[in-house]
Amino acid sequence: MLHLRLFRASPKTPSATALLALAFLAGCSGGSTGSGSTPSVTVALSGATTVRLSETTQFAAIVSGSANTAVVWEVNGVAGGSNATGTISSSGLYTAPAAMPGTTSVTVSVVSAASATATATVTESLLNPIAVLSSTTVTQVGSTLSYSIDVIGSNFVSGAVILANGTALTTTYVSSTELQATVNVPSGTTTLTVMVSNPNPGAVNSSALTANLSYVAATPTEAARFLDQTSFGPTAASIAQVQSVGMNAYLMQQFNMPTTVLASIPVSPFPAVCLSSNTAYPCAESEWWTTAITGPDQLRQRVAFALSEMFVVSTQSIPGQAIPQFHNALANDAFGNFATIMKDVTLSPAMGGYLNMMNSAAPAAGQIANENYARENMQLFTIGLYALNQDGTHQLDSMGAPIPSYTQAQVQAFARAYTGWTLANPGGAAVTKFPNNSGDYNDPMVAVAKYHDTTAKTLLNGTVLNAGGTAEQDLDGALGNIFADSNVGPFVCTQLIQHLVTSTPSPAYVSRVAAIFANNGNGVRGDMQAVLRAILMDTEARAGDTNASYNGGHLREPILFMTAMMRALNFTNADPNGAYYNLSNYTTTLGERPYRANSVFNFFPPDYVIPGTTLNAPEFGNENSATSILQLSLADSIVNNKIASFTVDLSNTSALGVMATNPANLTDYLGKVFMHSQMPANMRTTIINAITPLTSNAQRVRVAVYLVITSSQYKIIH
Amino acid sequence: MQLRRRSFIKYASLAAAGNLAGMRPFGALNALAATTPDYKALVCIFLYGGNDANNMVIPTDTAGYGRYSSVRTAGGSSIALAQNTLLGLNGVNYGLHPSLPEIQSLYNSGAAALITNVGTLTQPLTKAQYQAGTANPSNLYSHPDQQEEWQNAAASGVTTTGWAGRVSDVLSGSYNTSATIPMVTSVAGDTLFCNGVSTTPVSVSPGNLGGASCSEGSECSARQTAAQSLITFNSGVSLITADDHITSNAYSYAATLTAATKSVTPLTTVFPATGLGAQLKQISQIIQVRAALGVQRQIFFCGIGNFDTHSNQVALQASLLSQISPAMLAFYNSTTEMGIANQVTSFTMSDFARTFQPNSNTGTDHAWGSHHIVFGGAVKGGSLYGTFPSLVLGGTDDSGTNGRWIPSTGSVQYAATLASWFGVPANQLATVFPNIGTFATANLGFV
Repeated sequence: MLHLRLFRASPKTPSATALLALAFLAGCSGGSTGSGSTPSVTVALSGATTVRLSETTQFAAIVSGSANTAVVWEVNGVAGGSNATGTISSSGLYTAPAAMPGTTSVTVSVVSAASATATATVTESLLNPIAVLSSTTVTQVGSTLSYSIDVIGSNFVSGAVILANGTALTTTYVSSTELQATVNVPSGTTTLTVMVSNPNPGAVNSSALTANLSYVAATPTEAARFLDQTSFGPTAASIAQVQSVGMNAYLMQQFNMPTTVLASIPVSPFPAVCLSSNTAYPCAESEWWTTAITGPDQLRQRVAFALSEMFVVSTQSIPGQAIPQFHNALANDAFGNFATIMKDVTLSPAMGGYLNMMNSAAPAAGQIANENYARENMQLFTIGLYALNQDGTHQLDSMGAPIPSYTQAQVQAFARAYTGWTLANPGGAAVTKFPNNSGDYNDPMVAVAKYHDTTAKTLLNGTVLNAGGTAEQDLDGALGNIFADSNVGPFVCTQLIQHLVTSTPSPAYVSRVAAIFANNGNGVRGDMQAVLRAILMDTEARAGDTNASYNGGHLREPILFMTAMMRALNFTNADPNGAYYNLSNYTTTLGERPYRANSVFNFFPPDYVIPGTTLNAPEFGNENSATSILQLSLADSIVNNKIASFTVDLSNTSALGVMATNPANLTDYLGKVFMHSQMPANMRTTIINAITPLTSNAQRVRVAVYLVITSSQYKIIH
Repeated sequence: MQLRRRSFIKYASLAAAGNLAGMRPFGALNALAATTPDYKALVCIFLYGGNDANNMVIPTDTAGYGRYSSVRTAGGSSIALAQNTLLGLNGVNYGLHPSLPEIQSLYNSGAAALITNVGTLTQPLTKAQYQAGTANPSNLYSHPDQQEEWQNAAASGVTTTGWAGRVSDVLSGSYNTSATIPMVTSVAGDTLFCNGVSTTPVSVSPGNLGGASCSEGSECSARQTAAQSLITFNSGVSLITADDHITSNAYSYAATLTAATKSVTPLTTVFPATGLGAQLKQISQIIQVRAALGVQRQIFFCGIGNFDTHSNQVALQASLLSQISPAMLAFYNSTTEMGIANQVTSFTMSDFARTFQPNSNTGTDHAWGSHHIVFGGAVKGGSLYGTFPSLVLGGTDDSGTNGRWIPSTGSVQYAATLASWFGVPANQLATVFPNIGTFATANLGFV
């Protein structure tokens, strides 16, 4: 008997051992039997009893008892078989059907041509094919330990399962060439071995593919949005960094990052940067821009910038030398306690000079104490005009009217409490002059006792500073009195939220953050790290990570627009002195120049409402039909490398220029860096269509970047 | 002391006549328009920070000056201006700050008037009423609030509209029917003053009237088309929609203003090279092309800051006033050059005046009632209007003891007078100025 091994040489094929055939005896004349009768014709059949769908197996027939060895092959009684049940050739090569027929086996028969009764039959079991994998894509779901697996290949059968590192997964059958599943992996998993098993009959694992897991702790959208809230603009590198460590770890890194210090500015001679202008403020601006654009302590500097728009000083009326000390204090204190910020601001020569606490003496007969700092410290910096609920809404009196936070008499009491301060002496020598006009702008102010008003002062909430207190005691008493006021949390937190996240926080959001301001969980009031974490990780801050249409955000103010451009497009400084202050000239036309606001009310008021709407959107105070056009012109200068003191490579051979060979690739890259990978489809199409006809890759880059950065979708950080 | 006080009652009959004139307007105006195009402009010059009017208009008679000088000199220092430096005003015993010679000449030639002790009020207010506290303006002495209350001239502190915007709401249907830009133009950013219910202003950056620049040669048009199509997409984000709206207007206004000013011959009037000078020069240029813009009525807003002189007041205020004075004269001269001096009326506003009593830091603090300058060919100039405060600390004009004068004239009356000249009919005044009816007169008669 001939045994034929016809199975494919796959190691995974189960016992396809060929076997016997049954020999049927068949009488040629009605089945009569007996010795000496005509020899009977018999057929023996051999071949494998299992075959996988679409595959072939060879059967062999041996006719005995007749010189005529011809046979006819049938499948389920049909000569030659059919597509549904499989076909069989004249030489006995059976080809299994592509899909499982109603049953999982067929009958293969062979009939002798010499005798129709000489037949042999085998029941052939049909097995599902072995899946063949060609590729697999493994993608992290959000910033979780979940990965979606997409497998491309062939021979997939409904009911097939994906196995990931040996574990069978609930699998979605997409088609015979694609399967999908989701797997949760243990932390630290770096590779995923993917196989597919079709279902029984014949279930067996496919060969394996191995995917490296690119674990990201944040999605591209989360990372870029977070960086728009916590830095001076995302870059490809910073997005990758936040993706790899996640938002929480990035926060911790930034909280621990030391302060980049603005260098102090000598009075004479001026540093080279501001020598030609012969005034100190360009030096201060240059220091500031450099730090904002290149400093590693991005969150610290960004918060300091926000604070500088709340505690406003301006070189329009104070010397530029005062700025480094002031800014460094804000940056150093950004992750400390709000009470420290209050005190450091109060004693800074910058604020002292700007709101005139410096050199404010105890009033003589016929005079009053200077009320400037006393009033604005309460109105603008700490508690605001009206008593607030924790959620930032006004408390109302029995008539439904808001309740003033303080009276004119209290302003005058604080004014007297703040008397007696003047500039320190360089090196710390005791100050006896008042005013000490030749003093030192690099150190906090100092008190000269005899110029302090020592009469009693009645402050907020009935607190009295008794007569006879020193300048230092009264200052601590006054600031402590304000810091303890319940308005401080909602008033300050609302503005921090508006500067970092959204113009229109819900009262609930304000309330959640203000509660943390009141108590960080360990009984500490005013903990800035806790407040910042509460602001940035709030569900309202994060909602846009997964919903590009989430109705929030705030206008990218001119200074933040400029820093974002410098960072994302990788502008480099080309000034012989390394001066950055020329950037100020571009933002000035749009209404902003670092530390040079028109008044203590900042570049825009926190309560600004967009005309014709009810939207409180502070930065829109600078957005109008004039600045809108000027910003278009600025964008044109940016993409055409016309920013004085700076250069950028957007040529054909630049990274973006090379990318521009494929307009979609370029547009998607810009969408990632500038628009949190959330560029709307119609915008994407418009930009691709606009640049595709351009024959210069450099021009494609310029036009594409221009269209992105001038769009309202980009201007509104959302 | 020989004070020349112009009682408003004296002007009541004139005001009534004005109202009558206002009610028979259109036939007469249209007849006039045949030869002289019907055009009027109001120009607001805002002095941000609170100008110390107590050092702007000063009594020059011996008793008055003595009272001024004695209060403003204390603790070994003085912010009083020397009597012999004050600039004389014809016919009255008051003088101007020495940094205002151009204003002096406008006054003495009859083209400027001074309105004294004007301030935010919701109704006429006595000291007793102030102390009772039931009808006081909200947030007195606060910069942003008092700026808003000057600009909105409304019954309550918080509104979303300013009086120029509301004037435009009322008049845009009668005038400017073929205008290609809004009635209100700001050359100093967006302010409450400019916004109405249906009015938003056109903002102009002085010297930058044209459209956005483009370096892409033949591709500029395609780039702009693509950029403009992007602002038509619906985002679902309110702030994006708002910015799309502003940007859309910006494209439109820039195209209009560029076309209108493209071939205009510059005026010969020279403006000072100051921020305010540039703003007023820009206003002049826009007025010059009024026909091309199709406007018959325009309200302009410009401003200058840093009047918040809590310290070093004498030098700071002198520097600021010496900027506004020549800029104002240049602007007036430009309207003369255009032949429309009688059709353009300019006026100052400011947060508040400053304490008459000085502080211990060579400055003054936030106060209330103030003096203001109005100029133009239509102004009944050469006169002081209103009731000059008595300059007595703790006196009947003083809200407390530091010389924060209770205004004797409401800023809403000041505004209503200007609006009436501009063309707001008497029967519409209460629409624009909801609490004007609480005052004895809606027209102070200075224009």
